[in-house]
Amino acid sequence: MRLDLTAAEPLPFIQAGQFLHLEVPDKSLILRRPFCIYDHDEFSVTTYAAIVGRGTASLAGVKPGAVLKAILPLGNGFDISKYKNIGFLGGGMGCAELYSAAKAGAAAGKNIYAYFGFASKNRVLFESDFKSVAKKTVICTDDGSYGVKGYPISELKKDIKNLDAVLICGPHGLVKSAGREFENEQIPAFVSMEQRMACGVGACLVCTCAVKEGTEIKNKRVCMDGPVFNLRDIVIG
Amino acid sequence: MNLKVNIAGVELKNPIITASGTFGFGREYSQFYDLSVLGGICTKGVTREPRQGNPSPRIAETSSGILNSVGLQNPGVDAFLKNEGEFLKSLNTVIIVNIAGSTAEDYCYVADRVSASDADMVELNISCPNVKAGGIAFGIEPKSVEAITKLVKSHCKKPLIVKLSPNVASISENAKAAECGGADALSLINTLTGMAIDWRTRKPILKNITGGLSGPCIKPVALRMVHDAYKAVKIPIIGMGGIASAEDIMEFMIAGASAIQIGTVNFYDPNAGIRLVNELTSLLKNSKIDDVNSVIGTLTDL
Repeated sequence: MRLDLTAAEPLPFIQAGQFLHLEVPDKSLILRRPFCIYDHDEFSVTTYAAIVGRGTASLAGVKPGAVLKAILPLGNGFDISKYKNIGFLGGGMGCAELYSAAKAGAAAGKNIYAYFGFASKNRVLFESDFKSVAKKTVICTDDGSYGVKGYPISELKKDIKNLDAVLICGPHGLVKSAGREFENEQIPAFVSMEQRMACGVGACLVCTCAVKEGTEIKNKRVCMDGPVFNLRDIVIG
Repeated sequence: MNLKVNIAGVELKNPIITASGTFGFGREYSQFYDLSVLGGICTKGVTREPRQGNPSPRIAETSSGILNSVGLQNPGVDAFLKNEGEFLKSLNTVIIVNIAGSTAEDYCYVADRVSASDADMVELNISCPNVKAGGIAFGIEPKSVEAITKLVKSHCKKPLIVKLSPNVASISENAKAAECGGADALSLINTLTGMAIDWRTRKPILKNITGGLSGPCIKPVALRMVHDAYKAVKIPIIGMGGIASAEDIMEFMIAGASAIQIGTVNFYDPNAGIRLVNELTSLLKNSKIDDVNSVIGTLTDL
């Protein structure tokens, strides 16, 4: 589902990859939910989300003009200032998280190379938006019903010599295979992680993921220390 | 109009304290409002050694509530005092350090350290149900509650608040036990043990399987227990459990609380602290109540 939100006042600066923390219309559900900031301008934010439970189902039924409270922007975002040729590796709804960085990168004169995987043709999303900012967009489907049959990581690896960095967002399996495939590569790789959240602002320690820090493994807050982490620091189970 | 309350000799500018585990060490919410408006802040629980806490997922939402299984992720008492002490002091509100441990010796170690600090009070966490190795063991049986209270009291130079678990046979017995052990005040309730299940995967949502339930849905249980504890002991009681409005605060104080804590509400309203200070002030003014202390323990029989 796509949500277009208009702010009551001008929004602060939003770094690509920061997220939106939005309440849902069903008031028996007290927590806000984190959503990607797909696109934005001074007064508006667009997000895409899958409908996975009661909260997102209530959002899907919201009427135009409804007012919802939100906190944004949260998290650290992607820092692509140092890179020129950037690969984007995404799967499913995770691709939505990558769009703002692709758009900002293209606007800053960087070369964007997108490699996305979806289950099948009817699950393909965001292709035209990415094509409008990317030098190359490769769509893969698991069943081959559209684009290339197979996984996007294989397509990205063919071009890896041309890339300075890779940004990643997708399901567990995609992140895990990326961790494996890039283990022996030098290329800087960053992954946007997701975790169930409560406060969203770093106070409650609910949204942690295991991250390597030197010789130790620490539980870092996805909402505050992330959601973007160095791929090689993530401990992927 | 007076909002000041006194807990075990410590004056708080108002009855509103933020609850342990929901407010970190104040840094995050200090970006939303000036924390000096609060009556007090209760820190995240600190243990002798640094802890990483439980594996994720650590939260499941329920109707009007949440289940959490964070575990006691904290930097350890020494790092806490070194890195957070100055900042907490700068907040100009009463600082209550929540302490936890796996063994009696651990509790004493932490109590010793915190006693030497600028903390105003200590809250003894014997009731956190999320740590398998300990915590829950101390807070269940009245004899155990009395023993750990007595031991920690002997190491604690600050006024000692004992935080009670609701997952017990008799909250009155445990309240009395803590009072006998020398507690200067009680705080209750901690979270209720609960579970959430993903029917599609047939697995618990929490990696820890069970977690602690908090939020508006537990208010009736908390109110009943605050009232039972109030009837059982003479020491002051700090009430908590689903408080989200000035009316809720009134209900807990009428039930017997001298002060209250707000926890889960901070997650869905980051400005809850300052909002409730203002709303409580308005409510008292509109009700022509000159002193908030006059409300404490005033539940009348039908």
